Amino acid sequence: MATQTLSPLGILEAACTDPYAEAQKARAKGQKVAGITCSYTPQELFHAAGYLPVRIMAHQGGTPRADEIIQSYACSFARSVLDRALSGAFDFADLVVFAHTCDTMQNLADLWKGNRPQQALLIVSGPTLIEGEPARTYYRKEMDRVRVRLEEIVGPIPDAAIADSIRLYAQQRALMQRLYAIRRLRPELLSAADMHNAVTAAFLMPVEEHLQALRGLVEELEGDNIEDSATLPRVLVAGSVCQDRGFSEAIEEAGCLLVDDDLCMGSRAFELPDASGDDPMDALVQIYLTRTPCPAFHRPGFDPGAHLLERVRRAKADGVVYLLTKFCDPWAFDYPHMKNTLESEGIPTLLLEVEQNLPVPAQLRTRIEAFAEMLESKAGQ
Amino acid sequence: MTVAPCFAGVDVGSATAKAVIVGLDGCMIAHAILPSGGRLALAAETALDAALANAGLSRGAMQALVATGYGRDAVAARTKSVTEITCHARGAHALNPLARAVIDIGGQDSKAIALMPDGSVKKFEMNDKCAAGTGRFLEVMARTLGVDLGDFGAIALTADAPARISSTCTVFAESEVISLLAQGEHVERILAGLCAAITQRVHSLASRVGMTPELMMTGGVAKNIGVLRNIEQAVGLPITVPPEPQIVGAYGAALFARDGAAKNG
Repeated sequence: MATQTLSPLGILEAACTDPYAEAQKARAKGQKVAGITCSYTPQELFHAAGYLPVRIMAHQGGTPRADEIIQSYACSFARSVLDRALSGAFDFADLVVFAHTCDTMQNLADLWKGNRPQQALLIVSGPTLIEGEPARTYYRKEMDRVRVRLEEIVGPIPDAAIADSIRLYAQQRALMQRLYAIRRLRPELLSAADMHNAVTAAFLMPVEEHLQALRGLVEELEGDNIEDSATLPRVLVAGSVCQDRGFSEAIEEAGCLLVDDDLCMGSRAFELPDASGDDPMDALVQIYLTRTPCPAFHRPGFDPGAHLLERVRRAKADGVVYLLTKFCDPWAFDYPHMKNTLESEGIPTLLLEVEQNLPVPAQLRTRIEAFAEMLESKAGQ
Repeated sequence: MTVAPCFAGVDVGSATAKAVIVGLDGCMIAHAILPSGGRLALAAETALDAALANAGLSRGAMQALVATGYGRDAVAARTKSVTEITCHARGAHALNPLARAVIDIGGQDSKAIALMPDGSVKKFEMNDKCAAGTGRFLEVMARTLGVDLGDFGAIALTADAPARISSTCTVFAESEVISLLAQGEHVERILAGLCAAITQRVHSLASRVGMTPELMMTGGVAKNIGVLRNIEQAVGLPITVPPEPQIVGAYGAALFARDGAAKNG
């Protein structure tokens, strides 16, 4: 395919339409592919080891194979991904990487290992309490262990290669930050689908190629000087992992502007850490220890409600739609506090319990539309 | 003689299609309620024509039409769509300007709405995907027990105590009801138990929204006196029910249809 003729948005969209085309291409050239299940995977390290890190994605459809070996109250992301794994959809991955987050993901790793024994598996176990010297020391040891494990497969990974990968991903984070800033300021420039594609492609494409498309897109949008005339309700989307763009699109179709997100496959993955030290392994620890914590982790003093409120204020959002994947306990436990914090500041919230493997049901569309009507009437008062 | 303009609201629900015709002053002229059946677009048209006929008006007099309910986007003639949540709030406020809370239980969903003093939505909650604890649930149970749906509530109120029904899932509750019958439980106690089960479910929605006086109940289930009394007790507020609770959403929709004319004219 002549990708040179596609616009930056076209390239990002193509990567999402056929999510594993890049992985297949990499394999065909003899490059190793790492299937990543969680954004707490130090992608930089896998990149430095010569792997193409590719995100393992849920998709729409039933999960009959997974249902035989996993209980129905495991989240739809876990069930969908397991079902696809059992059918061989991720056989392109030389290595599947898990991070130690919620109970479901930990057990998913075991189920994967037991049922796909031919596929190599690696678990990166970050500390649960993500603050203080013990956490730092422990995480450094774990990163070193992962590096050794990779070196056993690919040979020595020089420090300089890791430092280069860190720089590359830092550029990606910085450009994504600029894209998010454009969206906060001029949300009408980026459709829900555009933003979703830009974010998702970061987890599917080689970072070098994503960077190139992203740079093209950001420069094009930053050069756009059309006056902003949109007065639609401004919505921020928060919640657990959401790989289907249907939910964001439904919010847009209800007449809202998406101005920001607080999602793990979203703004949280592109925070700019202060990783300026000399030692690249310490820098990796710093990156993954200091990002906004996934609710499966604990950072003393971190207030998820205050964090979300700050993001809402910065984006000048009128309301928050909380996409809670059904049976995602860590996010569900945090939700009431987040909701109370927002509502005590007069910011309306809408909770949508979503399934990662189903299209957006009509009932949810009604709730989204009613929420949009409510925000509009508030704006009119 | 020129015909006075009128405005219509159509609420295409899962069980029934409702149409309301209002005049330029916003007063209700006529309404119609018909079963929805499998063809939503047709049901909407039929209900609309029936309401117009009841008003003695023709389609030509209709200046605007707002569609609501889950079949709202199937109404081809609509000027626009507005969700049933916003329409119920609007309709309830028009019927009683002091209304600050609405509980609506229809054929396949239930909702609790808190209102602003101007009748706009302050906050709302709606049941999850399945139709547990809604009108459909009562219909199935009435059929299982051989009781006329219209008598359901009144018979339930004659029970000395409710039977314990722990599920609002229609399928599970039906097997619970059959087990109770097999154990020789009285029908009126089972009916009372079913009213209590529905109440539990809607009460959790209502608590999340926060109900303040005056509280109005709308939707077909408001006609079930057993459910109504149970909800009053659970929420701790008296409930008013309009003369025809099923058409409140369609009335709200008709008022939205009239807004356009008020602005333009």
